Amino acid sequence: MVGRQYDCLVNPLGAVRFTFEKAVTSGTDPASLDRNDWGVADIFREFLFDKDGISQVPILTPSTVHRVQPNTLVRFRGMIQDMLGNEFYVGAYKNEGTWNTNKFTDVSQFAMDPSADMRVWERRLLYCVPVPGLNSWADSTSDEVEMQDASNELPNSPRAKKMREGESFMTEETDCGGPTVSDVDFRNKFSCLVKIYDSPESDLKLNDVFEFIGVLTIDTEVKNDKNGEHELEDELVNLPPSKVPRLHCLVHRKLSVPDMVFKSPTMEPKPHLVKEIRESLLHYLKVVLGDDELAAHFMLLHLLSKVHSRVDSFAVGKLSLNLTSFDKSSISVFGKRINNAIKTLLPFTHHMPLTVEYLNTVSLSPVKDYETNRLVSGALQCAEGSHFMIDETSLQAGVLNSNGVENTRLLKDLMEFQKVEYDFKYYKMNMDADVQILVLSEAKSNILPADLIVPFHPSSVGPLGDVDEETLNEWRWYLATLRSSPHSIETEMQKVVEDDMVAARQVDRSLGSEDFSRWLTIGRLMSLSFGETCLSHQHWQMVKEMERLRKERLQ
Amino acid sequence: MASDSSPGPTSTDDLISSPGRNTLSPANNTRNSRRKRGRPSAAVGTPPVPSHSRYVGTPEPSPTPNSTAPSSRRGGRGRSGSVPLTSPSTDDVVPSSEGGEEDEANGSPAMFVWGTNISVQDVNAAILRFLRHFREHESHTDGKYMKAINHVIEIEGESLEVDANDVDAYDSDLYTKMVRYPLEVLAIFDIVLMDMVSRINPLFEKHIQARIFNLKTSTSMRNLNPADIEKMVSLKGMVIRCSSIIPEIREAVFRCIVCGHFSEPIVVDRGQISEPTICMKEECKTKNSMTLVHNRCRFADKQIVRLQETPDEIPEGGTPHTVSLLMHDKLVDAGKPGDRVEVTGIYRAMSVRVGPTQRTVKSLFKTYIDCLHLKKTDKSRMNAEDPMETEQNSTQNGEEPRVDNEELVEKLKELSKQPDIYDMLTRSLAPNIWELDDVKKGLLCQLFGGSALTHDTGATFRGDINILLVGDPGTSKSQLLQYIHKLAPRGIYTSGRGSSAVGLTAYVSKDPETGETVLESGALVLSDRGICCIDEFDKMSENARSMLHEVMEQQTVSIAKAGIIASLNARTSVLACANPSGSRYNPRLSVIDNIHLPPTLLSRFDLIYLLLDKADEVTDRRLAKHIVALHFENPENSEQNVIDIPTLTAYLSYARKNIHPELSDEAAEELTRGYVEMRRRGNFPGSSKKVITATPRQIESLIRLSEALARIRFSELVEKKDVVEAFRLLEVALQQSATDHATGTIDMDLITTGVSASERMRRDNLVGMTRNIIMEKMQLGGPSTRMLELLEELKQQSNNAELHLNDLRNALGSLASEGFVVIHGDSVKRSCLRLPVDKDGNEYSVWLKKGWLWLWSNNPTMIAYIPFPWLHSKGL
Repeated sequence: MVGRQYDCLVNPLGAVRFTFEKAVTSGTDPASLDRNDWGVADIFREFLFDKDGISQVPILTPSTVHRVQPNTLVRFRGMIQDMLGNEFYVGAYKNEGTWNTNKFTDVSQFAMDPSADMRVWERRLLYCVPVPGLNSWADSTSDEVEMQDASNELPNSPRAKKMREGESFMTEETDCGGPTVSDVDFRNKFSCLVKIYDSPESDLKLNDVFEFIGVLTIDTEVKNDKNGEHELEDELVNLPPSKVPRLHCLVHRKLSVPDMVFKSPTMEPKPHLVKEIRESLLHYLKVVLGDDELAAHFMLLHLLSKVHSRVDSFAVGKLSLNLTSFDKSSISVFGKRINNAIKTLLPFTHHMPLTVEYLNTVSLSPVKDYETNRLVSGALQCAEGSHFMIDETSLQAGVLNSNGVENTRLLKDLMEFQKVEYDFKYYKMNMDADVQILVLSEAKSNILPADLIVPFHPSSVGPLGDVDEETLNEWRWYLATLRSSPHSIETEMQKVVEDDMVAARQVDRSLGSEDFSRWLTIGRLMSLSFGETCLSHQHWQMVKEMERLRKERLQ
Repeated sequence: MASDSSPGPTSTDDLISSPGRNTLSPANNTRNSRRKRGRPSAAVGTPPVPSHSRYVGTPEPSPTPNSTAPSSRRGGRGRSGSVPLTSPSTDDVVPSSEGGEEDEANGSPAMFVWGTNISVQDVNAAILRFLRHFREHESHTDGKYMKAINHVIEIEGESLEVDANDVDAYDSDLYTKMVRYPLEVLAIFDIVLMDMVSRINPLFEKHIQARIFNLKTSTSMRNLNPADIEKMVSLKGMVIRCSSIIPEIREAVFRCIVCGHFSEPIVVDRGQISEPTICMKEECKTKNSMTLVHNRCRFADKQIVRLQETPDEIPEGGTPHTVSLLMHDKLVDAGKPGDRVEVTGIYRAMSVRVGPTQRTVKSLFKTYIDCLHLKKTDKSRMNAEDPMETEQNSTQNGEEPRVDNEELVEKLKELSKQPDIYDMLTRSLAPNIWELDDVKKGLLCQLFGGSALTHDTGATFRGDINILLVGDPGTSKSQLLQYIHKLAPRGIYTSGRGSSAVGLTAYVSKDPETGETVLESGALVLSDRGICCIDEFDKMSENARSMLHEVMEQQTVSIAKAGIIASLNARTSVLACANPSGSRYNPRLSVIDNIHLPPTLLSRFDLIYLLLDKADEVTDRRLAKHIVALHFENPENSEQNVIDIPTLTAYLSYARKNIHPELSDEAAEELTRGYVEMRRRGNFPGSSKKVITATPRQIESLIRLSEALARIRFSELVEKKDVVEAFRLLEVALQQSATDHATGTIDMDLITTGVSASERMRRDNLVGMTRNIIMEKMQLGGPSTRMLELLEELKQQSNNAELHLNDLRNALGSLASEGFVVIHGDSVKRSCLRLPVDKDGNEYSVWLKKGWLWLWSNNPTMIAYIPFPWLHSKGL
């Protein structure tokens, strides 16, 4: 075997087989290859990352799915929405005296004699969807690939033919060109069944965002024969391959929020640069918030907040913000402005106008549907780092039914503990979440107890002006990077903080651990916002001053 | 051995011949053959029909993923070959393809399971030895299983439950073989059983099957992997779906539509029935005339059950896995959705059906477990005799933690021997909530629980300890609750605010579809034998709270609705927390005023803790330090020398399950002594009124607490020190909640009536004394007296050096409000004119207040007030 027998991009299975044969001929027992990689991952890693092949790999989207050839390399970015357990398959089998493998494919290359010698291996099934609330700017999938895979498209490919025959949604899709609203809606329904090989369970967790690179298979030939299988139902019956493409994952990598801010230049967090960005972002937020500087400051900290550790049920680092004093006119102006601003700054955002009807009807918590054996996603199933803007101003007095009560409880739990309760019918499970919650309300929200209550005092509605893409990217980079940077406190400063707390408590007995926790969280975020990893005196003074100003407003 | 039992070999053949090829359908063969024999029409003259073994009934032949399959056939054959069979039945069983093997087998004396060195005869003999000779204790004369077999015969049972642990104890080699090659070994097991049964009672018709349970190791659903295929596994999980019962055809009878001739019963072979194409009757011989006669076919019950992982087995960031179970015959409907079960079965894989036009073979397998045994780990609440046999829902190990896991037990026992185990456990309880040690100790007692007792008379004494935490906001009450909820067996967490009566107890609802009335249980019933944590207890509706009365004393919930009257067990400990009625605790008010709970309910709590936020710099600093640490330190290394949660839960469940302490004489004495002491202390010196210090409810609480304390030490005996500690806990709790600050004694009136009798009396006394002193020493409108002087006087008169200026101030305050005195800073002035007794014997007081002359008399008709502006202007 000389040179490349295969093309990683077009014929990834060739690479798989080639390496398999090599492994077998070199004397490896096929039985021992279960859960073992025989060098496939290395080849693809090299191809993708070292040789930058990744840019050539088409991204699987609703608009590209019908153009991509089956059995070629594709990538898919999405959130793990459900885990469908393990699947056993014939991993290796003997055909006419030689071993073959079925790894990374659904159908075997050669006919398998049922009596032939074979090895059963397993793989994990993950049901993945595009990240909920993904904003279009963060969706690197949308445009760039379209040009690329256009060249790959063969009009007479069997796949293309199939598409023409049926699948009404496909025609619909081809009609509308660019990413329109319907496209976004549609994209949210798009999902992919990813089959994972050889990686430990703890690597991939529910609600993690990943990029999967692997072999696309579309085995429309296998129809699930319902009669005869009546007894052992197939979970996949509800996920026909024609609607849900299968991706046999060769390489996967976790995407964190900074990874999603894909296009931004990779910058070193240099102090002066960070400060500049901070200033400009703060100014922008101030304009958005009608010249309310205090609100802008708190908003900035809120956008930087992140659960950085959990102690018992307490999520350290969260900073939910409740902007109060909205009325009908101000919400219509500022609600929109704030929402738009957040949308352009953060990759995953959700806007939730709270009404009695909404609470009574919507199902916020993910629920397991045992009929289909699938986890039905609720609004609160979201990726780490998602932002929720909850508009409580539209909430009128009304009667909540049990669903509504349950939903308010879920929201409250999410705010308080950063946990979402998943309903598995026979029991409920709390899953950790890390979301930023912004509540807009007329007065302090009791339904949604936020960490920080700031009465909103806009003074002017200045024009927002256009922000160029570069600046936006800087801001996005700033928020995404600083959010996850480390932070600590020095012993000396710790002492100062403690003294301040004790003194404050001597004056005001009503101060409790929540207040102190909030101070520390604000302090941490304050120094993070300056790109510093240690709390300084100066920033601590700022925190106290901000708290003082806030208190004044509350009175 | 087997020669005398015709059904034996028959099914043996089948048993052994089909594994791997087909899906298992356990538990059937025997019954089938039996029935058949019972029915002349089918059986007489017809050799018992084969191959309805455990392993028949697959719709689809599947490639065996594992190469043991063909082998077993050989093994089976071998066995029957080695023991000459008298029954003709074997012959018609021989699957044609296997003929050669059979011959081979017949010739050789020692048969081996394919691909292994397991000799069939050896296994056979080993099983026989095990069944005959296994004894639980040396002293037993009869073997455990011989007894069991006789019992099964007596009750005409169908299966013999075999504890795998027994097998292992007797012959670990056999155990290993059984787990590794369950299809083969179980088949042999059944033959042996059959032989034995027919020896004992040759007339016994039923076929008894071995149902293995209690494997040494139980697999987690998530860890099932291809290597487990065809092996015996044991799993825990929760039943989430049961299919309807599927009648599975076992024997088909056909009738010729031309001549009416009935065919012989045709046995399902690997899921298929070979329909006769031609009438077998000599005279008829019509082709394609045979039709299936449904009522003469024989069916077996089958059910597909889906099992899901229980929450404790799911790793972080995962969703529960599920697995299908195939149930047959008796096992059908053995588990209902929601049941937590432990199943033992054979893990099997079946290839996915290939489409008819399929060029390539789909390489997938579906897996399922062919169920051999199902054990509900959730014993029915109503039937469990000992409420302390608490199953652990939330432990790492599932509901019934493997306390028979000796290693763990040893570890726990080792732990229990540590001298400071009590403190260590206290430390380990919510290590991140600092201080509150006594509260934690109380909670620890609650977790361990006392012993429930049912008296001969039928009276029951609960063993559950109820705790109420009352306190200022931000005193970690909720965190404690959350923590206990996580730790406790069957912890249910509910918030008083959101709980209607329905949520807390059981209620009747109507199924919207069928209109059937359904009983739905609420938190309290669900937490039967667990801990029900109720947050925001004070916010709970009256209605829901009233339900708690019954629960907390009688341990039942009664409902009478929609024609259903039911009393459900709710043997739950209640852990409630409440905020004071104002946002902060007002020490001037009694507990009852502070929390606004009916005293009747309050008295049902064994321990009432007050978590007060004291204005104290030291505590403030600790709070500050704690919070700073929370934010900036690595939480992992913040606490050392604590027991981790899994160990803690294991410890807890082991203790609750296995330790049932009893009062020692010494302890009982101490209890009596202490109780008498407590009551005696209630006698307020110098007062005729006897204050109730302790009530009989307290003595029950004390017993429970001391039992729990003994349990913490894994001690079967409640010792004196336990009782002493129980007293201490009770006093710590009561002192905080019911201390009458004036006397330092415990005043249960605070809790039982809401008013402090002694405080009221003491204040009255003080006011009276002060009044007397003032009347004696001071002139009307005379010069003022310093308060301190008054205090000295008061101390002298009352012989009470402990009197504080504040007490005096209070007394003077009430006198001033009467207008008896006027207080200017530190000086007191008598402002009252006392008129002599008039002729009618009426006593008069006259004083000035706000420019009015007030006339007071002990005769109510004489009370009057008259404006006296001029008096006021003169400064009087």
